Amino acid sequence: MARGHDGDRWGRGCWRPGSLTASRRPVVWVLVVVLFLLHFILHIGFGIGRAAPDLLTIALLLVAREVGLGSAAAAGLFFGLLEDSLSVLAFGANSVTMTAVGMIGSLTRDLFMGDSRLFVVSYLFVGKWTRDFAHWILIGDELRRPFTEEVLVQGGMGALYVAAIGLVLTLFVRLTAES
Amino acid sequence: MVAYAPERETSGARRQVVIAAGMALMAATTLYLSDDAQQRIAQTLQASVLKPFIWTQETLAQARFRADQIGFLQSEVDSLTAVLSTQGALLDENRGLRDLLGLAERASPLYVRATVTRPGTPGSESMFLVDVGREDGVEVYAPVVSAHGLAGVIRDVRARDAVGMDWTHPDFRAAAMLEDGSAYGMVENVRGQFREDDRLVLNGTAYHESLANGTRVLTSGLGAIPRGIPIGRIDGTAEKQGTWLKSYWLRPSVEPGSVTHVLVAGTGASLDVTDLWPGDTMATDGGGAAGAPAR
Repeated sequence: MARGHDGDRWGRGCWRPGSLTASRRPVVWVLVVVLFLLHFILHIGFGIGRAAPDLLTIALLLVAREVGLGSAAAAGLFFGLLEDSLSVLAFGANSVTMTAVGMIGSLTRDLFMGDSRLFVVSYLFVGKWTRDFAHWILIGDELRRPFTEEVLVQGGMGALYVAAIGLVLTLFVRLTAES
Repeated sequence: MVAYAPERETSGARRQVVIAAGMALMAATTLYLSDDAQQRIAQTLQASVLKPFIWTQETLAQARFRADQIGFLQSEVDSLTAVLSTQGALLDENRGLRDLLGLAERASPLYVRATVTRPGTPGSESMFLVDVGREDGVEVYAPVVSAHGLAGVIRDVRARDAVGMDWTHPDFRAAAMLEDGSAYGMVENVRGQFREDDRLVLNGTAYHESLANGTRVLTSGLGAIPRGIPIGRIDGTAEKQGTWLKSYWLRPSVEPGSVTHVLVAGTGASLDVTDLWPGDTMATDGGGAAGAPAR
């Protein structure tokens, strides 16, 4: 695939393979901020817990497609630290997980282009499932639940939930950008 | 002929890679930070970025509590109206109202009232925040109790709030005894295949002691938790090891998910609080009666 650009490959101000078109980018950034706020309002403010989708991971995966590798890692670390600050016994697990997810998400721009519905849904599903799997590995023996329950069942359902939300958001972004 | 060459790397690309490596290193470092450093980071974030969200949860919890109080006051008015209209069974009504005054009236002032909030984020299951801390006289390992018994213990204390764990936490332990003191043991959490399968089990009792179903189990006072706080009731034999040891399932007195307002023992609280929980207060917070099946 040709890279007809003069800017840095992963730096700022350059054409980014796989990122959304320029008209949609402002909508995506607004969406990221809204998802960030909504995640903590639902999980902490309303105390809904697992019934609420993991909007923070969606926000991170969206950010990762829009910024460079380092910025995606920084966003992941920040998001992870916020989650870790509320989990005393597993401090650091979310930080490492979210940083890794941010970096991997950013690297996918070199592998996959476009923002078709199928891609976005698959990207969010795999991203969320990877996040849960990595978190399960890092959380420590004391808190670790059985793999089948935590990763396959809960992780799979969580990833489906996130993918469904992502599908709705994709439609919303398209409609907003086009209008 | 144009030769294929490696893609041009620039200073911007290198900078991104260096930043990413730095962030990954910092993230990995957080796993190995000392407890103090981790708590400082957590406190800083809770007091800054997360403060509005925590405040929202506390506000909502208080609003729910006030709504409950309105219902309670309404029921009081209804009860008084009924009493005035009938002028009968006044003694029974009086007794009922005294019960509703709650545990807080019976406990000493050293038990401080607190609101429970749950983070609800991954990794924080079985943990909760209470809005009282060191300034209120709360210490680490202080018991957190509801009107029905032991809800958990404090794990980490800060100036104005504290983090606690309920009995579903894998680290939860409580020295326990039967109500009549005929057998002693250790109550701990046993994780089920699914989270809803988590149960309490009474270990360490002698094999020849056969504990009847429904027998009340209280804290024994060994360790930091005062004597006499209800933990649950015996609910069948969990395991037999040869001919020397038995363990028993417990039906917990308190369902952690239903706890929103609690008392936390402050510094110098009484070491024997058996009188705070008379035998008829053992219906669980979740609404289960004493004879209901476990879960």
